[in-house]
Amino acid sequence: MRQSSPSHRFVAAIIAIVTVAAVGCGKTPPASFRLNMVQATKATVPESGLEKPWASWSRERQQQVATILEAMFGTPDEPVALPETGLDLAKLQLAAGPVRSDIVGRKNGLYREHCAHCHGISGDGMGPTAAFLNPYPRDYRQGKFKFKSTWRDAKPTHDDLVRLLHEGVIGTSMPSFALLPPAQVDALAEYVKYLSMRGEAEIALFTYAEQELGADEALPTTKEFLVDEVLTPIAEKWQGAADARIPVAAIPAGVDFNLPGNDLANRDSVARGKALFLGDGGCVKCHGVTALGDGQANDYDDWNKAIVAVSAEVAVGLLSSKEAATGGMSSDALADHRARSAWLDSFAHVLEGDALRPRTIPPRNLRIGHYRGGRRPIDLYRRLYTGINGAPMPGVGPSGPGGKGSVADEEIWHLVNYIRSLPYEMDGELGADRPMVAKDRF
Amino acid sequence: MTLSTRFAPLCVLGLAAAVSGCSRPRIEAPVADAAAAITIREGLTTVAAGAGGGAGEAQVSGTGWGGLKGRFVFAGDPGQPKPLVVDKDTEVCGKMSKLFDQSLRVDTSSKGLADVVVFVRKSSRVKNPVPTTPVVFDQRNCEFLTPVLVARVGQPIDVRNSDTVGHNTNIDGTSFNQLIPAGQGTTYTAAGEMGMPRPATCNIHPWMKAYMIFRKDGYVAVSSADGSFEIPDLPAGEPLEFQVWHARSTGSGGGLVLEQPELKWNPKGRFTLTLQADEIKDLGVLDVPASAIGT
Amino acid sequence: MFKRIGGIFWALLFLAVPVLGVATFAISPFYDHWLPKDVSTHGAAIDSLFYFILVLTGVVFVVTEFLLFWFMWKYDRNNQEGHATYIQGSHTLEVVWTIIPAATLVFLAIYQMNAWADVKMRRPSMAPTVEVIARQFEWRLRYPGRDGTLGTADDLFVVNDLHLPVDEDVLIQLKSMDVLHSFFLPNLRIKQDAVPGMKIPVWFKAREVGQFDIVCAELCGWGHYKMKGRVTFESRPEFESWLERKYAEQQATQPPAEADVAAE
Repeated sequence: MRQSSPSHRFVAAIIAIVTVAAVGCGKTPPASFRLNMVQATKATVPESGLEKPWASWSRERQQQVATILEAMFGTPDEPVALPETGLDLAKLQLAAGPVRSDIVGRKNGLYREHCAHCHGISGDGMGPTAAFLNPYPRDYRQGKFKFKSTWRDAKPTHDDLVRLLHEGVIGTSMPSFALLPPAQVDALAEYVKYLSMRGEAEIALFTYAEQELGADEALPTTKEFLVDEVLTPIAEKWQGAADARIPVAAIPAGVDFNLPGNDLANRDSVARGKALFLGDGGCVKCHGVTALGDGQANDYDDWNKAIVAVSAEVAVGLLSSKEAATGGMSSDALADHRARSAWLDSFAHVLEGDALRPRTIPPRNLRIGHYRGGRRPIDLYRRLYTGINGAPMPGVGPSGPGGKGSVADEEIWHLVNYIRSLPYEMDGELGADRPMVAKDRF
Repeated sequence: MTLSTRFAPLCVLGLAAAVSGCSRPRIEAPVADAAAAITIREGLTTVAAGAGGGAGEAQVSGTGWGGLKGRFVFAGDPGQPKPLVVDKDTEVCGKMSKLFDQSLRVDTSSKGLADVVVFVRKSSRVKNPVPTTPVVFDQRNCEFLTPVLVARVGQPIDVRNSDTVGHNTNIDGTSFNQLIPAGQGTTYTAAGEMGMPRPATCNIHPWMKAYMIFRKDGYVAVSSADGSFEIPDLPAGEPLEFQVWHARSTGSGGGLVLEQPELKWNPKGRFTLTLQADEIKDLGVLDVPASAIGT
Repeated sequence: MFKRIGGIFWALLFLAVPVLGVATFAISPFYDHWLPKDVSTHGAAIDSLFYFILVLTGVVFVVTEFLLFWFMWKYDRNNQEGHATYIQGSHTLEVVWTIIPAATLVFLAIYQMNAWADVKMRRPSMAPTVEVIARQFEWRLRYPGRDGTLGTADDLFVVNDLHLPVDEDVLIQLKSMDVLHSFFLPNLRIKQDAVPGMKIPVWFKAREVGQFDIVCAELCGWGHYKMKGRVTFESRPEFESWLERKYAEQQATQPPAEADVAAE
């Protein structure tokens, strides 16, 4: 056999060096929360008369917010739960940090093990796998949740979150965690609330900085401001979630959910539900006459809508900034123009790396029989009553206690009955608009 | 050159590419200052001894009531209003009259700028209680009939649909997103003060857009077709910071930026005034420069 | 001197392969690194096939490796005078070591046919007990409900928590909702790929009650490693009462009672 030539050995050495260099031989740094860069950039709009260059001024202000958030909420490895939040620190510690077992053998680091790769370490819905998923994972930082038992703009209860973890969300990449011990599911739900509160506090701080502070003012760090003004309103909404549950009307006569939808006993109810669905309420405008979800496909859910709006503003701003005649500007105006251009460029970068490409949200195809928020009659009732928070889906019930809906509370059960019968509807029922029944489709 | 030497650079490049991956480029986010965070945290967890000193200037307050009025005039060229793309319910929508983008309404003769919202950011006294008569928000011909709706927190809003098709009225930032069938209506009690006007849309007919603002003290005025506005019963003797807003303004957050150095109009669209008792301050004609209104 | 040690070194290194190989197999059962506990009725046949092949190939392996070592040791270049003789190959040898393995393999192929047929071909004629729909990254289960027919409105939908009656023939209808998965029950020696677009029957009978794993055995995405389910075998009355309970939960029309709601 030929001796290994010098060039062979050289190649082998290069590969070895490159591999070692790339892999490294040090400890990985601890994980840290990432600022909501879209909010951060939006809130640090350059003002005229800035003393220092915009880049360093905005960085300082953003770092201030990051420091305050770390003071209030801690780090991904060591969470902090101020008493005003009402969060259970023991549960948070179970969920936080790297995956390891503690001294009694309990599993820690649950969030990082189960959730962070999609939902991100900061709960921003932009973990490493998020870009490949349709629909995107939930961004907790707005404090909006879709599938819950409370009024539309109220928070979900702890049980709503636990139920979501238990069932998963069919039709999305959110799996079921039913096989985890209940204590672990509890800890994860608590950690989601923690991340959501942190995200909402971040938005509140940035909004305050943008609206109330001058260019040279720092954010106040007093207890009156941070705890009473910023944190307490957020925490109170979460703690009041259990009291914000929608009322559930009694089931009217002629509806028996224990029988199949096309059973004779339910026939009148299903017919009434169908009349409500096809009526001038507007369900068919989005879901289509055949309930296949072919009514329209150009609306966004709130998370994507925010990115679309911001992207449009930035695009318009960049265009006008490029077209501005810089020749005739005074030195002050020129400085302002430059700062604004720098801000717009930075915003465009942030939208590239810190925001997922916006996607429209199609109205649901009701004939498949997959209901994301749960398939029990009570789940469908809740979706119809308040609509879905964060999605374009409106409600047919009242919008708050003491309000009036477009459909009486009891009648909503007929709609529920109709919807549950749709996947099993016989072909002959719709004639020319014959949909593919779930059995054949699947 | 032997085969191996030719492949060597390729191998190295391939390895480097594989190891670095193709992740999206992310801007470097600012990192918290850990030591400062600990100091702040200590301040948050200790029980405050005595009434917390710090933020909270003494609220200056006077007696009596005044008023504010003025007229916004647009100095630029509003151009032709853009026709809206109507692609749903075309048998009904746009049938009574063609639908145009109403976000910039300038009176042709007086050049008055309508739908400018002026409101007080913080006040210490309110003269009138929350009215119980509802304010009406209606829609017909697939457009909202009120471009900017003002309500006081706690005031009922009569959300009506006088159209022949169903609509859903979605008030951003509130719990109200309800399907309203044709010819029906419902009442919504304005809950929660809004920092700036927020859009009210219809998800079924996406071109429909109006704005709403709910304030606790009710010191809000919307300029009429000729650009004039008036806010009565303002508390006198205290500095009042007014925020001026327009749907199409280029200022941050929607604030309308005018060149009014005597009023010290700041780039966020705000100015501060202290009114004397029984004084109706007339700001006169307020020129809105063309640069303040965007697309 | 060093050259001789060099030769010994490589010979001994190659000897370590069969020694360590056999040692690993000998020690593993004591560290629980062996076949999972078998609770099925057909599993014994499959396990015995496994052992037969293991012993057969093990013996051949040890012999071959030892021969390799022996030739390296004995005919080490530093130990020999003169050169090796070049031969054109031995026809006899080639025939021998082609015919014997071929015959062995044919024997194995015929020997295992019965075990294969039991698991993959002799489907019991019964209605499906449950439909398992593999989905990224969980197991969606669909029981027929009271009318006994799958695909009607009274079906029971559960996730990841498969309950089955013990000591009874079970027929599973396996489907996939998105990509290739593989329904693997290690403790029942059952493994079947779930192919999108196909309805594949899987059947078995469990001998013991208990909870065992369902694992995904076909790479299906980033969550493949955590696509675990749980199968519980219980007596028929317990199974039926579990079905009733789950069905009642599915029909819930009221929020749970206040007592069930955990304090915030």
